[in-house]
Amino acid sequence: MSSAQMAWSRLTPGGRALAVLLPILSIGGAALTALLIVAGPFIGATIGANLPIVRFLAASVITFLVTVPVAFLLIYMEMKIIALMNLRIGPDRIGPAGAVMSVVHGLKVLMKEDFTPPSVDVPVFTLAPVVVYLASFMTVMVIPFAPDLTSAGLEFGLLYFFAIGGLGVVGLMMAGWSSFNKYSLLGGIRAAAQAISYEIPLTLSVVGIIILTGTLSLPKIVEAQSGSLLDWFIFRQPLAAIIFFIAITAEANRTPFDNTEADQEIVAGFATEYSGMRFGFFFFAEYVNVFIVSALFSALFLGGSNAPINLPFHPEINVNLGSLGVMLPILAGLAPVAGTLLFAAPIFMASSKIKGWQALLGGFLIFGAVSTAAIGFWAWAMLPPIADLLFFLLKTFALIFTFVWMRGTLPRARIDQLMGFAWKWLLPASLLNLFATAAAVLLTS
Amino acid sequence: MTTQQTRPSLDDPRIAIPSTSEWYEPAPTAQTERQAEFLNLRDGEMFINMGPQHPSTHGVLRIVVKVNGEQVVDLDPVLGYLHRGVEKLCENADYHQAICYTDPLEYVASLFCEAAPVAAFEKLMDVEVPRRAQYIRVLTMELNRIASHTLFQGWMALDLGGITPILWSFIERDEIVDMLAALTGQKLLYNYYRIGGVNGDLNHEFMSRLGNWMSRAAAQIDSNTGLINENELFVRRTRGLGTLDQATALRMGVTGPNLRATGVPFDLRRDHPYLVYPELEFNVPTRDEGDSLARYMVRIDEIRESIRIIDQVLHEMPDGPVMAKLPRLIRPRPGRAFGAVEGPRGAYGVYAISDGTDQPFRMRIHDPSFVHLQLVGPLTRGNLIADTMAVMASLDPVMGGVDK
Repeated sequence: MSSAQMAWSRLTPGGRALAVLLPILSIGGAALTALLIVAGPFIGATIGANLPIVRFLAASVITFLVTVPVAFLLIYMEMKIIALMNLRIGPDRIGPAGAVMSVVHGLKVLMKEDFTPPSVDVPVFTLAPVVVYLASFMTVMVIPFAPDLTSAGLEFGLLYFFAIGGLGVVGLMMAGWSSFNKYSLLGGIRAAAQAISYEIPLTLSVVGIIILTGTLSLPKIVEAQSGSLLDWFIFRQPLAAIIFFIAITAEANRTPFDNTEADQEIVAGFATEYSGMRFGFFFFAEYVNVFIVSALFSALFLGGSNAPINLPFHPEINVNLGSLGVMLPILAGLAPVAGTLLFAAPIFMASSKIKGWQALLGGFLIFGAVSTAAIGFWAWAMLPPIADLLFFLLKTFALIFTFVWMRGTLPRARIDQLMGFAWKWLLPASLLNLFATAAAVLLTS
Repeated sequence: MTTQQTRPSLDDPRIAIPSTSEWYEPAPTAQTERQAEFLNLRDGEMFINMGPQHPSTHGVLRIVVKVNGEQVVDLDPVLGYLHRGVEKLCENADYHQAICYTDPLEYVASLFCEAAPVAAFEKLMDVEVPRRAQYIRVLTMELNRIASHTLFQGWMALDLGGITPILWSFIERDEIVDMLAALTGQKLLYNYYRIGGVNGDLNHEFMSRLGNWMSRAAAQIDSNTGLINENELFVRRTRGLGTLDQATALRMGVTGPNLRATGVPFDLRRDHPYLVYPELEFNVPTRDEGDSLARYMVRIDEIRESIRIIDQVLHEMPDGPVMAKLPRLIRPRPGRAFGAVEGPRGAYGVYAISDGTDQPFRMRIHDPSFVHLQLVGPLTRGNLIADTMAVMASLDPVMGGVDK
C-alpha cells in the first residue's frame, strides 16, 4: 500500500470530502477570478446590454425555487390541519410540530425507484409530469406579490394565466392516455372534461373586472383596488367572486371537485401508474396550483397587496442607524440586557412571592414582545413592499386554509352533478354578471 | 470437432412458410363465460376490474364492471376471496368450539355471529338461559349494533369522498370496543356467549365506561350525523339512488335495515322475539323511499333506538346467575334447530343438525350480507361508476360473512 493510500484510509468521511473538494474549489475559484479579470468588462457590458433577459432569467429561477418550499408548506398545512379537524395528531415527529415532515416526504419520493411499467407509451409517460409541473410553475410568474414584486409584470398577465393554466390539463391527459390503465384513462378524461367546463365560467367571471379596470395586467388590477376596503372587487363584483371561487376549486382539482383522482372510484386517477419522483411532480403541481389559484383570487378580488384599512397617516421614521457609528453594536449588545432589567424591575417589586428568576423571565418575554413589535413596525414603516407582501400572503393563505377546510368537511360531487353545475348554473350566472356589469358601466358613463 | 450449430433462417427449406390464409389467427372461441363477455363487448364499452384490492370494496370483494364511458352497463360481484369453509370447520369441532369459528364471520359486529349459533344450540339442548344472562346479551348486542352502525356511517361518507366522518365515528366505536374489551377480554372477536349463558358477569370497568359513554352518547351521535345529514352534496348523491322497491326486496330475501328502508317493518326482535326483547319498549324505524339515503337514515334511527334499549336494560336488569347448569361436554339429542338474531345488517341465522354426538352433524350459516350483495348489480345498472360505491356502501356488506 502506497503512502497516499494509507493517508487516504486514515481520513474520516468529512476529511475525504474536503480532500476532494478543496482542490476543485480552489482551482475553480482561481479560474473564475482569472476569467472575471480578463473578461470582466465584457461580461458586465453584455449583462448591461441585455438587462431584461438577465432579469427574466433571474426572476424565473427564483420563481422556480420559490414553488418548492411553497408546495412543502402547503402539504404540511394540509396534513396538519386536516389531522386536527379529524381529531388526530397528524405529523409530529420531524421538526417542530412535524413541520419538516413534508420535506422528508419530498426526499422519500426522490429516493424511490424510478419505475416505468411495461407497455406504457414511454415518451409521453415521461413527459406528462414535466408538462403538468411546468404549467403550474409558469403561472407563478405573473402573480403580483407586491407592487414591483412580480417575476413578469406582463400587460396581458390575466390572459397569460388562463392560457398557461389550461396547459396543465394536457399533461393530465397525457398521463391518463399513456399509462395503459383504465383508471388512468378515466381520470385523464375526467380531468379534460372538468377543465374545459370550468375554464369558461372562470374566464367569463373575470371579464367584469376587465371591463371595470380596462386592463389585463394583474398589477394594475391590484392598483385599481387600492382605495378603501369597499374598492375590493369582492364587494363590487360579489357574484363574480363566488363563481370564480367555485371554478378555481374545480381547476385546482380540490374537494368537492376532485373527481380526477377520486380514490374511492378510480384508485388514483391519472397518477395510478406513477411512482417515485414522477408522482412527486404531480403532487407538487397540485399544491402549487392551489397556491396559484388562491393568489390569483386574492389579487383579483381581495385587493391583492393592499391593506384592508387605509391608515389615516403613514408613519415616517427617518432614523439613520449608520450615524450611530461604533455605538450601534454596543447598543445592540446592551439593549436586551437593559430592556430585560427595565421590564423585570416592576415585576420583581410588585410582589414578594415572585422570585428573581421569574421576574427576569417575565421581563425578558415582555422585552421580546415589545422589541418584535417595534422592529415589525419599523420594517412596515420603512419598507412598504414587505408589508404589502405580508398582506398578500395573509390573504392567500387564508384562502388556502379555506381549501383545506373544505377538503376536511365535504364529500365529493359526482361527475354529472359537477358538469351540470358548470353548464346549467355557473355559465348563465357568469353571463348575467357580465351583462349587469356592462350595463352598469354604460349607464354610469 | 462437432457439427457447427447454425441459426435457423427463413431460407432454410426445412422451415415451412405458412400460406397467406394462415397468417391471420382465427377468431378466438370463448373458453369461459367471462371470456365470452369480453369477446361480445359492444362499441365503446370496456370492463373495469375493481378489486380484490381496491380502495373502496369493503374487504376483498371483486367487482367486474362493464362501463360505457362513465355509465355502468353491467356489474358482476365475484366472491370467494375470503372463503375459509367455516361451516365445515364447525362440523368438525364440538359445540363450544363452533362458537369461536363463527365469531370472525361478520367481524364488524361479531357478537351477533355468536348469538345465532348459541341460540340454535340452546334450542337443541332445550336449556333455559338465566334472565340476567339474557339482559347482558341484549345489552352487549345493542352496544355492538351501535358500534357497527357508527362505523357504517363513517364508511358511507368515506366512500362518497368525505374523510372526516370516518374518524369521528371511530370515536364511538373505539369507546364501545374498549368497553366490550373490558368485559370480554377481546377487542374484535369477543367469544363471550356460551351455551346457556355468558362468560362472566358484568364487571366494574365495563359499567363505569358504559355509564361515562351513555351520558354523552346521544349528543355525540347527533354531532356526527350533523356533519353528514345536513350536507347538500351527501344528500344529493344518495337521494333517489339505487331505489329498491318492496316487492323486489321481499322476493330477493332482503332483511334488516335494507328491508326496513323500503317500508316493511320487519324486525326479528319484534316479529320472532328472542331473549327479553318482548319486555322492552322500542320502535322499528322504517322509511318509504328505499333509496341509499333511506337505508342510511334507517340505520341512524336504529342507533337512537339502541340507546333507548340499553337505557331500559340497565334499569331493569335483575340479579342472579349468568350461566345455566350444563354438563361440560355437550351432547344434544338428535334433532334440528334454527336460531336467528336481528343483526345490524339483517337476519343472521344458524341452522344446526345434531346426530347425538358432541359435534354438530351439519351447520348452515345464513348471512344477510351475502343476500344483499346480489342487489348491487340490479341497483347500480345505468348509474355512474361513482354511484356503485354509494350503493355498495349503503347496502353495507361485510365480506367476512359473505365468503364464510
